[in-house]
Amino acid sequence: MIIVGMADSAVAKKPAKITTLGLGSCVGIALYDKRSCVGGMVHVMLPSIENARSRDNIAKFADTGIPDLLKRMLAEGANQSGIKAKIAGGARMFSFSSNAQLNIGERNVAATKEVLRQLRIPVIAEDTGENHGRTIILDTEDGRLTVKSALKGEKIY
Amino acid sequence: MRIEELDEMQASALKEIVNIGVGNAVTSLSKMIGKQIRIEVPELKIERIEKVPEIAGGADTVVSGVIMHVDGDINGYIMMLLSQETAEVICCTISGEEHTDIFTEMNQSLIEEVGHILAGSYVSSLSEFLGLNLKISTPMQTYDMLGAIMDHILIEMSRNVESTLLFDTFFTLEGNRMEGILLTLFDPGSMERILNRIAEMV
Repeated sequence: MIIVGMADSAVAKKPAKITTLGLGSCVGIALYDKRSCVGGMVHVMLPSIENARSRDNIAKFADTGIPDLLKRMLAEGANQSGIKAKIAGGARMFSFSSNAQLNIGERNVAATKEVLRQLRIPVIAEDTGENHGRTIILDTEDGRLTVKSALKGEKIY
Repeated sequence: MRIEELDEMQASALKEIVNIGVGNAVTSLSKMIGKQIRIEVPELKIERIEKVPEIAGGADTVVSGVIMHVDGDINGYIMMLLSQETAEVICCTISGEEHTDIFTEMNQSLIEEVGHILAGSYVSSLSEFLGLNLKISTPMQTYDMLGAIMDHILIEMSRNVESTLLFDTFFTLEGNRMEGILLTLFDPGSMERILNRIAEMV
């Protein structure tokens, strides 16, 4: 099992499994190409590198992390036209606050979808929002994405 | 600022201040539940923000967490993270029940209040000692994966800085193998402010 940390990414081929743990407002993006069985995952924290003061880790941002992941998957033999995305996370863990910053989850999901749209990667499954954490596992054997939560069980996409 | 740039005097002064604060916090918890609590001397680390969930025990570890924002003269967060067992012991002790369900509304707000009291005595001892004006926000409380509970505050911090000053203190309740973590995060600017105050004092 390959573990992708926060603001981190990984690319792997069948039969590897790639996971990222404890997504809250962050978004986990799993990309998979069925033909080559190449998969990739990135765990982004923020929508955009624009306006960021520190830019040394591009996996931190949706608009730099996802294109970089795609590039690395293509280098591993994935076919651009076959790549599909499954996304999870972007929760709002604490609901009472009116602080707009706390709605970062929603903004991360929106930015993720926009970046994927620009890259012409279809989003075929999504488990986002709500108010709970998620751990996701991508199986490069068949592209299945397992989404686990602390109290609400497990779903497979 | 990196930890290597702190001289020994600065590092031990920081540790001592946090130790006093955590000590006071835990004493107030100990009084509340009438049990002895042992704490380890806090470890001081300067870490990349993305590494914090791992240091706190793993991003997918499920905990009962209370988070408070510290602001005023310094900017940071205090988090109390309890295993389910520890949360149960604390709830039972306070409510006098033999068994309890920590997910009831009553127990959830009880845990929230415990965190708030802990952080309150922590912060007031820091502000008294340093002569700084500090206040804590309303607590945010939930039971979930540790990474999920804290990622929005790490996101918030990572907008402006790369790394954080981190203290993690493990505490153990007497007679039980029940543990919790009190985690303190300060941004590097706040660390400099604290160090300046220390320099003025000596």
